[in-house]
Amino acid sequence: MNQPVESRQLTLDRIRAATPSAAQDASLLADAYAALPRAYIRRGDLSAQARIELMIHRLREYDAEVVECTPEELADALATQLAASGRHRFVAPSGAPPEWLVTSAYKIKGLEWTIDHGLDIDEIEKAEGVVTAATCGIADSGTIVLHHSATEGRRVLTLLPDWYLCILRASQIVETLPEYFSRCQQPPVLATYISGPSATADIEMTRIKGVHGPRILVVILVRDDPEYINLIHRPDVNVANISKYLDLDLDLRFTASVKPKL
Amino acid sequence: MTHAGSERVSLDPRFAPPFPEAALIMLRNPQLRKNVGHAIDVIQTKRGKLVVEKTDWQELRSAASAIRVHALENLGVYLEEFEARCTAAGGHVHWAADAAEARQIILDLLREENASEVIKIKTMTSAEIQLNPFLQAAGVNVYETDLAEIILQLGEGEPSHIVVPALHINRSQVREIFARTMGLKNLSDDPKELTNAARTYLRQKFLTVPTAISGANFLIAESGTVSVVESEGNGRMCLTLPRTLISLVGIEKVLPRFQDLEVMLQLLARSATGERMNPYTSLWTGVSPGDGPQKFHVVLLDNGRSRILAKTKERQTLKCIRCAACMNTCPVYRQTGGHAYGSVYPGPIGAILTPQLMQMKYAQTLPYASSLCGACYEVCPVKINIPEVLLELRSQVVNQERKQAGRFFDLMYLGLRIANLIFATAWGFHAAQRMGRIGLRFFTSKDGWIHSLPSLGAKWTQTRDLRGLPKQTFHQWWATHAKEEK
Repeated sequence: MNQPVESRQLTLDRIRAATPSAAQDASLLADAYAALPRAYIRRGDLSAQARIELMIHRLREYDAEVVECTPEELADALATQLAASGRHRFVAPSGAPPEWLVTSAYKIKGLEWTIDHGLDIDEIEKAEGVVTAATCGIADSGTIVLHHSATEGRRVLTLLPDWYLCILRASQIVETLPEYFSRCQQPPVLATYISGPSATADIEMTRIKGVHGPRILVVILVRDDPEYINLIHRPDVNVANISKYLDLDLDLRFTASVKPKL
Repeated sequence: MTHAGSERVSLDPRFAPPFPEAALIMLRNPQLRKNVGHAIDVIQTKRGKLVVEKTDWQELRSAASAIRVHALENLGVYLEEFEARCTAAGGHVHWAADAAEARQIILDLLREENASEVIKIKTMTSAEIQLNPFLQAAGVNVYETDLAEIILQLGEGEPSHIVVPALHINRSQVREIFARTMGLKNLSDDPKELTNAARTYLRQKFLTVPTAISGANFLIAESGTVSVVESEGNGRMCLTLPRTLISLVGIEKVLPRFQDLEVMLQLLARSATGERMNPYTSLWTGVSPGDGPQKFHVVLLDNGRSRILAKTKERQTLKCIRCAACMNTCPVYRQTGGHAYGSVYPGPIGAILTPQLMQMKYAQTLPYASSLCGACYEVCPVKINIPEVLLELRSQVVNQERKQAGRFFDLMYLGLRIANLIFATAWGFHAAQRMGRIGLRFFTSKDGWIHSLPSLGAKWTQTRDLRGLPKQTFHQWWATHAKEEK
């Protein structure tokens, strides 16, 4: 039989003997840790609009469907996407705001919402789709970050249904991965970073979408960024022509990070 | 013909044939070389594009290297910090000094759960301790859930790569394995259809098997958080659906802080699969009420790692984040594939890690399975100087051999000892040069090259020519020239 306590001591003793210069405890390591070189790019240099465009571009590269709307239009945009999915049984996290549910339930015949107040796995497995919010979007890699709060749902909720709609607010989008980390006040207890639908390239490196996670990813991007909101309320601007009023400095033939630095 | 991908190979360094022997078998398998070459070309092209677009790639590498060095220098402190935080969050931390202990701890945990089945996420550490055959022998059915691992498990093959373990098997071979083992006669060799077959095969397992085993990519000391990086979603399934989760993790995997992931995650996916970010990254801390497994165990595995930690040059081996960029770029791996290395860790990292894990008692030909071209060092996201460690291990192998009694009259060592005496004095050296010129004249052909030598010299001339010695040495030329100048 194994001797867990002895093995712990044995292993730690071996490690300590192997690292004679190690600090005695964690509190003494702060200075050495702070001195580690971090010369990589922390903050991106794109304009707000270009950052959002990059996020959309990356998501579309992953074959995700992306639609934009203003905060007021969210309920309608959601209903439109739910109807377009051709599905009827949806689950939503326990903290889903009523505005997500009411309009769609009113507009779509046969639509069925189940709220996750501790659903068992079989019930979630029966759902055809799921709708949640997110914590953050990272434009550089097209990543959606979930910290699994009440509006983002338990981890299993965004895993079993085949169709996943994520509601992401423009103000949640950062350009680089380090920007997301600096937004975190402390490490999340639970987190999932999603970069496109699940995929495999295990057979001859041919990329196949949708192995075990949701096969279809839809993102509703809620334009709550002040620049956009101010513009959209001007009488001469509408969604169709808004891009010419926005500062679009992103050339999508190149990605943001390959732009030559002059 | 044997079943696809099921040619008997041993990845147990104690029994595997020496690298030159095993490599020869692989070199004679054109299908395998084609499969490996194709897969590597695809990854390398994707990786190349994404690394170029990252203008701060070298700064990221330097940061990653420094973080890993710092974590290893203070490994004991950070592991204890991880243990305390993970335990406070409801996890159980176990320590395994070696492979046998780790296997037993895991089996005991499974017995506590009365588990007859277990689902698994791909973990190289479990392959290292040969967990699957042990559990099967103890009556626990093990189901691998990563697509490549299913291909290997059903086809009774062995992994040949640490990120895409079945890259040596092509689609028609996969079709054959799935058709035979899943009873799907009409299956085509379309990767999409094959992937769907695996999805269906596993779905019920995910929903019903209450116990899972995973590895981990990173442990976060400051918060006691564990992270798994994956693509398919089988990881998320195993990490969220079962009642009980057991994570087997090498002690070197610890990072000081959560923020360190901002460096590692930027490097890992780009290096491993040529993606800006892998589809799914999961982080969890102990047990979360109502979300995921309600029993969580971490088994911290030493199994030789602390011995590597104690050595100055070799310690950097433990910086590895298992991205496989070194094998993808290695000209030797490209030709032989992974099985020739006779270890679950193939390629350049395997060539330095395996013999060290084996206490330099086995796998002694692996440090020679390299041309020392340095490509592995150049691509390594955490800057492991693999050639430096290879040379260090080679010298250890030579020193071991020298000490063996029977080696005293071995031609090579005898020759080297004599050379040592001769080259120790200028007088001896010049005499040897003169003798060499006279002796080799006999073998040098008109074109100035030596095409064949007898005895030990034949080892060189069998595969390449040797330049004949010039008529005079530089020393002699200088001496006559200096006189003329005056």
